[in-house]
Formats: sequence, C-alpha cells, structure tokens
Amino acid sequence: MTARAERPWLRTLIVVALLIPIAFPLYWALAASLTSEAALFSDPSLWPSDPMLSHYRALFATRDFWTPVRNSLVVAGVTTLFCVTVGSLAAYALARLEFRGKALILGFILAVSMFPQISIVSPLYLLLRAMRLINTYPGLIMPYMTFAMPLTVWLLVGYFRQLPKDLEEAALVDGASRLVAFVRIIVPLAMPGLATTAILTFIYCWNEFLFALSFTLGPERQTVPVAIALFRGEYQVPWGEILAASVIATAPVAAIVLLFQRRIVQGLTSGAVKG
Amino acid sequence: MSGRADPRLTQDRRLAVAFVTPAVSVIALIAIFPLLWTVWNSLHLQDLRMPWLGRPFVGADNYVELARDPRFWSSLGHTLFFTVVTVSLELVLGFGIALAMNSAFRGRGAARATSLLPWAIPTVVAALLWRFMFDSQAGIANALLVAIGVLERPMVWFIEATTAWIPVILSDVWKTTPFVAILLLAGLQNIDRSLYEAAEVDGASAWWRLWHVTIPLLKPTIFVALIFRTLDAFRVFDLLYALTGGGPGTATEPIALYTHTIILQHLRFGYGAALSVVVFVITFALALIYIRGLGLRLSGEER
Amino acid sequence: MHRAAVCAAVALIACGGGDEDSGRTVITISSSVVGTDGPLLRRQLDRFMRMHPTIEVRLHRVSDDATQRHQLFVQWLNARAGDPDVLELDVVWTSEFAAAGWLLPLEDPSIDTAAFFPGTLRACRWAGALYALPWYADVGLLYRRTDLVPREPASLDELATFAQRGITNGGVPFGIAWMGARYEGLVTVFVEYLGGFGGQIMDDSMNVTVGAPEAVRALTFMRDQIARWKIAPNDVLTWHEEETRFAFQNGRAVFMRNWPYAYSAMADSAQSRVAGKYAVSPMPAAAGGHPTAALGGAQLAINRWTEHPDAAFALVQFITAPEQQLERAVAIGEFPTRRAVYDEPSLRAALAIPADDARRAVESATPRPVTPLYTQLSEILQIELHRALAGQVMPDAALAAAAEKMNAAIERTGLREYMRRPVTSSR
Repeated sequence: MTARAERPWLRTLIVVALLIPIAFPLYWALAASLTSEAALFSDPSLWPSDPMLSHYRALFATRDFWTPVRNSLVVAGVTTLFCVTVGSLAAYALARLEFRGKALILGFILAVSMFPQISIVSPLYLLLRAMRLINTYPGLIMPYMTFAMPLTVWLLVGYFRQLPKDLEEAALVDGASRLVAFVRIIVPLAMPGLATTAILTFIYCWNEFLFALSFTLGPERQTVPVAIALFRGEYQVPWGEILAASVIATAPVAAIVLLFQRRIVQGLTSGAVKG
Repeated sequence: MSGRADPRLTQDRRLAVAFVTPAVSVIALIAIFPLLWTVWNSLHLQDLRMPWLGRPFVGADNYVELARDPRFWSSLGHTLFFTVVTVSLELVLGFGIALAMNSAFRGRGAARATSLLPWAIPTVVAALLWRFMFDSQAGIANALLVAIGVLERPMVWFIEATTAWIPVILSDVWKTTPFVAILLLAGLQNIDRSLYEAAEVDGASAWWRLWHVTIPLLKPTIFVALIFRTLDAFRVFDLLYALTGGGPGTATEPIALYTHTIILQHLRFGYGAALSVVVFVITFALALIYIRGLGLRLSGEER
Repeated sequence: MHRAAVCAAVALIACGGGDEDSGRTVITISSSVVGTDGPLLRRQLDRFMRMHPTIEVRLHRVSDDATQRHQLFVQWLNARAGDPDVLELDVVWTSEFAAAGWLLPLEDPSIDTAAFFPGTLRACRWAGALYALPWYADVGLLYRRTDLVPREPASLDELATFAQRGITNGGVPFGIAWMGARYEGLVTVFVEYLGGFGGQIMDDSMNVTVGAPEAVRALTFMRDQIARWKIAPNDVLTWHEEETRFAFQNGRAVFMRNWPYAYSAMADSAQSRVAGKYAVSPMPAAAGGHPTAALGGAQLAINRWTEHPDAAFALVQFITAPEQQLERAVAIGEFPTRRAVYDEPSLRAALAIPADDARRAVESATPRPVTPLYTQLSEILQIELHRALAGQVMPDAALAAAAEKMNAAIERTGLREYMRRPVTSSR
C-alpha cells in the first residue's frame, strides 16, 4: 500500500477513529477499577466519581497477586521459548528441505488443534496424573504445546518460505552443515518473524484458562486467568478487584509488546501455503 | 521436483527427520492419547451418574442420538453464525487496521501497542468487562445510548436472543481483531514496493492496486489468519460462558459450551466424546474448504 | 444454592507415600479465603490439629464458582484421585456423586442424625445410606423495606399489594427484586413460589409433578410480577445474587428475595442506602400452600478413594460439631444445621436475623429434588422457566414441556427402575 503521502490528516483521522473503540473499553476498565463497587452499580459514568486505590491495595495486600503473575510468566515464557525453538526447526525443514509427506505433517499438526479443548481435558488429566505432573509447571507447559506448537510451526513455515532461496547456498558450499547455516544465517534474518510468532504465542498462552484451571490445584501454580476467576465469591463478584487485576495482568504483555513492536513489523509474512 | 541431485535428497530427508521429529513427537506424545481416547469413548455409553449401566460398546448410537438432538443442531447453528460473523468482521477490520498502520506516522509504536492490548487481556476478564458494560442497570452502554438518544430507556440486552448476540460479537471482534491485524500487517510489510510503483506508473488507481496487487500477494497470510481464527471461533467457550452462559435459554449456546455441559455437568462422557468428534470433523472440513477456495497448495512445493 | 464461600477439599497425603519426615498424617484442606471465611476455617483447623497431634491439615483453594468446582471434583473423582479427602459439596451434588460411587458412606454409629434438621439431612442421603453431614444452611429469605412496608406480608397476594403500594407511595422503581437469570438461583426462587402454592418439582417416587396446576399458578404469579403488575423489572431475568442485592441496597426496590449473606452485606451505611431500614422473613404462601424457603448450603463428604478415612471422618465430625457451627454463625452469620445450636445465647446475639426466625426458616426449608440427575433436570427446568418469564411461551406450555423433557431424561437412564429394585446389601 502506498504511503498516502497526499493526505496525512486523513490517515491520522482513520487511525484515531480505529483506536477509539479499541481503547475505550480499556479506559473504562481502568476508570472502573478506581471506583467503589457501590458507585459502579448505581450510576454509570465516564469518569470515576471518587477515584480510590483500594482495589489495587486489596489485590496485593489481601490476595497474593504476584504469584499468579509469576506463574503465568513462567508457563507462557517457557512454552513460547520451547515452541519457537523446536517449531522453527520443524518449520525450516518443512519450508526448505526436500522430502515427501509435508502436507501430511502440516495437516497433522493443525488437526491436533481442531478438537475442542473441553473434550481433551479429561483424558489429558488422566495422562498428567499418571505422570504425576498435576500442579506443576511441566504439567501446564505440555498441554499448552498442543495449541502453541501448531501456531508456531504454521506461522514460521510461511515466513521461512518467503526468504530468498539461495540464502544458505553460500554457507553450504563452504562446507557448513544445514544446522549451522540455519543458526548463523537464517535465524538472524528471520528475527522479525520469530519475534512476532513469539509474541502471538506468548499472548495465546497467557490467556489460556481451561487447562490452567483443570491442571493446577493451588495458588502456587495457578496462572493469572485462573486467579482472577477465583476472585469470585459464591455470590459476590468483586468487580473492582477483577478490573484492577486485569489492568495489572495486561501490563507485562503491553510492556513486552512495546519493546518488541519495532521488530515485529520489520517484515514478516506468514502462512504455510503459496498462492 | 526441482532437479536436485540424489544424495542431496537423501541428506535432506535425514535432516528433515531430525528437524521435524521433535515438534511432531511432542505434539504426538501429548495429544495422541487424548484424541484416540475421545474417539474410542464416543463409541461407548458412559454416564457416570449411572455406573450400574456399565460402559457398553454402542457403536454409532451416540451419533444417532446427536443427529436427533435439537439442542445439538441449534448450538451448531449458533456456532456457525458466530464464526461467520466474527471472522468476517475481524478479517475486514483487521485488514483496515493493518493498512492504516502500514505507513509511517508519529506515535505508530504506541498505536500498534494499544491496538494489541485487547488481545492481551484474558478472555474471561474481557467477557466480564463487556458484560458489565452492557449491564441493564449499571452498564455504560445503556447510559451512553440513552444519553445520545438512540435508546429511549435502558435496554435489557441479555434476555432477547437478538440483542444478546450484540455484546457477544462486539467483545469477540474487539478482542481478536488485533491478532488478525498483526498477521496481515506483517504480510503487508513484506510486499515489494516496486510492484506498486510499476502499477502506479501504468496509471492504476489505489483501489485497483489493492485488489490486484495487495490482496493476491496476501493470500497466504489471509489463509493463516482465516484458519486459526475459524478454528478458535468454532471452539469458542470462555467468552460465551462468562458473557451469557449460553442464554437466554440456550439461544447463544455454542457447541463447545454444550459439550462442556454434557461432559462435566451431566457426566455423559460417551455422548460428549461424540460431540467432540463431530466438532473435529467439521473444523477439518472447513480447513479443506479454505484451502480449495483460496486455491492454495498445502506444501507449496512444485509437484 | 448455598453460600459456598468456603469450599473445603481436604486432601490427605498418605503417610506411606508422602511426607515421611514429620511422621504425621498430612491432610490438605481446600478453602476459599474470601472475606472472613478463610481465617475462621484456619482457626478451626488449627484447633483440630491441636486436638489431633498426629494429623496435619493443609489448606487448598478451589474456585467458588459452583460450576467450576463441580467440574474439578468430577475430574478428580473420576480419575480416582485420593485427594481431596474431604469434599465440600453443594446440597444438590451429593446424590449425584454418591450414585457415581465417589463417596464413602458414613456409617459410624456416633453420628447423631436426630441432631440435624431433617430437611438438611435429606440432601445427604442416597439410596438409603448417609453420604455427607450438613455443614451450614442457606435459606431463601424475603427482605422488606421497613420504611415502605407496614409489616411482614401474610400471603403472596399481600406481598404483591405491598409492593405495588411501595412503588406508588415510596417512589421506588421496583416492587420486588429476585434472581431470575437462567441458572440454579432461578430454580431456588421458583421452588419457593411453588411450595407457596402447594406444589413440588418431584414427589418421593421420582414422578415429575412440575406440570401440575399448582406449579402453573406459581409460575404465572412470577410472570405476572413482571408483565402484568409490573412490580418486578424485566432486568431480573439477567440478575444473579449480586445484581439483586445492589438493586435493593441502592434503595430501588421495596422487597428482595435473597440469601442471608445479603443481610450483613447491606448493613454498612457508607455503602448501603438502606442500612437500618430493612428486615427479613420467610417467603409467604398463597392459599393451599405453605411458606417455603429454598434450602441451600454445604455438606461435607468423604472421597471414596481417600487413604485416611478415619482422619477424614474425624475432621468432618469436628467441623460439623456444635461448637464449630456456633463459632461459624457468630463469625460469619451462616446458619447452623444443628437444632440445639439455636438455643445458645451467643447465637441469638450474633445472628443477623432473630434466631427464632432463622430456625423457623431452616425448619421450613425445602431441599430440591435429591437425585443424581438433578443438574440435568434443573437445567431443563431453568430453560423453560426462563422462557416463560421472558414471555416467549405461556407458563402452562413451558411447564408441560419441562415435565416432559425431565421425564424423558429420567426414563432414558432407567433410574426409576434402578431405585425400585430390591436392595440386597445391608445399608
């Protein structure tokens, strides 16, 4: 798309128009997290009438919110790291090497994520329990791979295929092995693609709820979505604290995104298919 | 086949095994047992509330019951409706956002980060947030709509099927358009500028360039966005569970929520397994349709 | 529906397979730490551990959301996990779990069943055996604005009249607020009107009687509140407990039907606009019925695959003992399930509502049908009730459809035949 240099104000207008509906609920969540519960339920308003930090204080004083944040970071981080590493190898092979059965492999990888999560929770639980992995980090990371790996592989296959074909030729001619060529040449060039895939996978894992609920037993291993869900009393829904928690829960992700966003958009294409 | 020498082929194959095996085996290790277990279970009657019935093999009985189950069909309809509407909206809006973000402007970084935030919020939280915004008494949606005169008085959104879908769709579009936008943006960035310039030189309009240059080159990216969004939309659960609970009645119940109820509330594991297999088959079929429809070859290699 | 502010799952880790160092039996107990429940339970557990130096009890927390808890319990028990050893069950789950073979029958002769309210025990039994002990009771109560209503309404009709007057004279928008969203709470509300007109959902032989004329009258009464007399807003159809409470708390309703937890929740004048201006009573009845309160609460049961049944049982007995029940009532205001506790002077001083009213309410409380199919049957009923209340079908058609589907569900499982079979083993 051309840069529309002729009418910059139009572009700004469009961007702002798009950002308002995106940002409004976020703003409102922030405003509501600073309001008392009774006020929330009586008169909805755009501005917090009597801003107060008590929900945030309650989050860290009466509830230990650091632990779920830590757990989420560990689980999402390790899953992402592992899937991007292992997945990029597989994606490289699928994109650049010659062998039969690629469609089958890609199809299998994708098919695994076609079962509704709810149906594989029970057998997965039995499996994890047999391996004594309930309420452990590996006990979450492994199930997460069932959806993280397909995403990673598919995204990266497309990206690798876009890279010029003879990139590794020079290195290979010089006698380097495929693996070395991969690490030394492909990976640095593919950084933007790897970064984007990592971010998307990370957020996917960060949001996951059902597996985290089913395979953890206590706060020492529960992740952020589960912890927030546990805020609920039987009847009482502490909206203020839930919203405060969601503001805090989004912060690490927002930080990561801001840090890496330039890398993300330096050029990446995804898709395992050719037009 | 490209004209590569034979030894290279064998070496490639060996390397391929080495590179691909870790990923595939990890997935297989974790997923194979649950998948096979589910398929096997779908052929049995298993109602945990009635252990005296045992766990007999009943063949296709569960599937026959499924075909006759009106709640299954309506939940399937809801799911298809939800999938079609949200995926189309997200594709179009995501594309728009990607186009807008594609050029350089001040604050681009912050704009991109902001547009990604909705997706970073846990689904359950986003659903609660939207439910609260559309609350009939305390919701900001009613307050705003009444204030600007669109509504006469506050509306109770969640007791009518038609109005209940609105917050559902809005919240899903709000939450997942960023995912599509990021993917498409990345694809856009990779399109060679010279192609546009050539078209411009030939006198092509912006619209023509969009249709005949951008979109065709974006097809692979569109496919990935489509397939993953469709898979997720088809299996939607968290959002509807927290937002409407499937109500009013069962008017917004998606098939994953129905399966959840069958398995974990009614303890009918056999029937629930059959439901899961059906979901799998349908999503598989959708994937194939996309591939054919977009005219894509899965492996991308010359055959 | 019960106040599951504490959901206790006690997990015992085998001495042999688990902690070797302390030489003690290690128990893990799950509990929510919302509000004052957590510290209270911890105090009681500490006391238990002092009394039983060889048993260690650990806290483990599960979700308060009933559906999620149910899901987790199903998963664990289906996988034959030995922990949690002691389960806090919603009153409607015990028969389901007992039928599935997941609970240990409580056969100890030291259990004094006569000490508990019969209504609370009904939900603890299945197929003639006792599977749980009642922990605390939740009963549906009618809250009224003392400044808008002269006295406790003597009948359902009087309730409607007072509500109407309250709207006109008091200038409040709603006559009555109750939980009408499509969930279990709606069934608890319905059960009270149903009993008030003399009906019931199922009789003791598991025949579905929810399609009877009394039921139609009850549902029509509820529907009229919304559609004809306009004393209840359409919004109730999306309300759970909290939305209902806030409607009343913000001074917008003359009456409210809710659980006891709301009483102390609304007492703070800084947050509540009705502090000091409300009172409670059981829901009244119509002619031909009797005042009915839906019985909620929680029960404690023992996991069938526990490795320490004796320790688990000791814990169950301890927590449901009179001293602990009294302490709980005084600290949190939850209603005890033992009759004698209501005579204690400290209870009289501590309960939010007068102890006699509380005892009356628990005594007249009706459990929902005790059957392993309850969750499924309730769901059918919820859907049809909600449709009728939303005006999409007429009450008689809705209840007829509900009765038919409930019957079909029972038929398909062969439950009636199973219940009628001769019981060979000793119970």
